[in-house]
Amino acid sequence: MIIEMNHISKTFGTLEVLKDISFGVDSGEVVSVIGPSGSGKSTLLRCATFLEKISGGEILYMGERAAHTDESGKVNYVRFQELTRFRSYCGLVFQQFNLFPHYSVLKNLVDAPIHVQHRSKDEAEETAMELLRKMGIEDKANAYPYQLSGGQQQRVAIARALTMKPAILFFDEPTSALDPELTGEVLKVIRQLAEEKMTMVVVTHEMPFAKAVSNRVIFMAKGVIVEQGSPAAVFDDPKEERTKQFLRVFER
Amino acid sequence: MDFSTMLSTMASGMLKTFGIFALTLIGSLPLGMLVALLRKSRFAPVRALIGAYIAVIRGTPLMLQLLVWYFGPFYLLGWSIRGWRFPALILGFIVNYAAYFAEIYRGGIESIPVGQYEAAEVLGYRKGQAFIRIILPQVIKRIMPSVTNEVITLVKDTSLAFTLAYQEVFSLAKQISASQTSFTPFIIAGVFYFIANYAVAFAMQRIEKALNYYK
Ligand SMILES: Nc1ncnc2c1ncn2[C@@H]1O[C@H](COP(=O)(O)OP(=O)(O)OP(=O)(O)O)[C@@H](O)[C@H]1O
Ligand SMILES: [Mg+2]
Repeated sequence: MIIEMNHISKTFGTLEVLKDISFGVDSGEVVSVIGPSGSGKSTLLRCATFLEKISGGEILYMGERAAHTDESGKVNYVRFQELTRFRSYCGLVFQQFNLFPHYSVLKNLVDAPIHVQHRSKDEAEETAMELLRKMGIEDKANAYPYQLSGGQQQRVAIARALTMKPAILFFDEPTSALDPELTGEVLKVIRQLAEEKMTMVVVTHEMPFAKAVSNRVIFMAKGVIVEQGSPAAVFDDPKEERTKQFLRVFER
Repeated sequence: MDFSTMLSTMASGMLKTFGIFALTLIGSLPLGMLVALLRKSRFAPVRALIGAYIAVIRGTPLMLQLLVWYFGPFYLLGWSIRGWRFPALILGFIVNYAAYFAEIYRGGIESIPVGQYEAAEVLGYRKGQAFIRIILPQVIKRIMPSVTNEVITLVKDTSLAFTLAYQEVFSLAKQISASQTSFTPFIIAGVFYFIANYAVAFAMQRIEKALNYYK
């Protein structure tokens, strides 16, 4: 298991956003997370990537505990130094890209490897250029984010996450901010990563994509995992009424 | 007194005006950042203190603040104020301008989308590192117009040093005008301030242009 989240709960004030969620992702697996708006998909990714602190449960990366809940119900995270190491296991691609506008594309990709991971400039740049080639945007290395289309920006964001060499990559609706004609180029890149056995969790509303690319689909609603299984099982033969209801909306 | 004597007498005042201007910027630009960061401190008393400081500075005239800095030690503590004129002046200016710059910085910092912080956090940047490498450069670009305004105001505000009878351009102009019954010193002072502000505007524009390589 790359990541294991057990009995995760998350509350904002009195609002319970995640309720006793448990799931794990194996190496090489591609998991799609689907569900209605407000069901807690983003929150789940944000907890997994340590942007948000869980209110209960435990998080393990590579079998090692990053956070757990003690007998008194208090959540304990590992110390800052170690948390940095756990952070390096995971990457996150945002819906809004969140590229650094004052850095060129290449600098966006090499800054963290150099200044966070203390890798050599040459090696970081080599890795970055290779990734840009893979994303089909090596000619944009010296451009600034504002000069790129949304689809190109998102591919840069994916490359930026990958330069850190994470063990698992999380995507939060990577194509939702894109015009329909640009979603394809981003999905193609993710599909390509899937073929290379990159471990990924993708929150998406692109059902055909989820069906074609993922090994497993998780359907979430109101802070719980309602149903999960192979794409065929969840999409073609859903067991739960809530899932059927949700999928019907997409059939049209 | 002929024109060239007047001009050379006032040149010493111009140098002093420039001194106030430069020292104030050197002191208040970084101090303002410290104030802006302290204003977001985790400790409520610190936040309250900084809030009060900014309110007082913005709520009272700079001229009055200069007088307080100069005479305060004498009236409140009974200290001798010999040699205290220039330090009091510079302190007054720095403390005043730091408050205004702090507000500008705060506005700039708050205008950066939260996604920038989150992207940096996920990539493993430490908080300070993220601030220096990711946030601050963007803040600087965004606040340049407001900073330019403030710096131009400062050029003109240096004339308030006359309250402490410090012999910068404005004080000298008044003095020479009275003693020589001439209007010329005021014109010289006016032209000096105008050119100084023109230079400031030009320099700031260059900086803004240099930061225009991204949006
Ligand atoms: N920082 C926060 N403070 C308070 N409430 C929050 C916060 N973040 C999320 N929520 C609430 O938690 C719930 C789940 O939000 P979340 O963003 O995880 O949903 P989602 O499944 O990603 O929805 P969408 O498909 O619209 O992105 C929502 O009701 C939301 O309003
Ligand atoms: Mg979401």
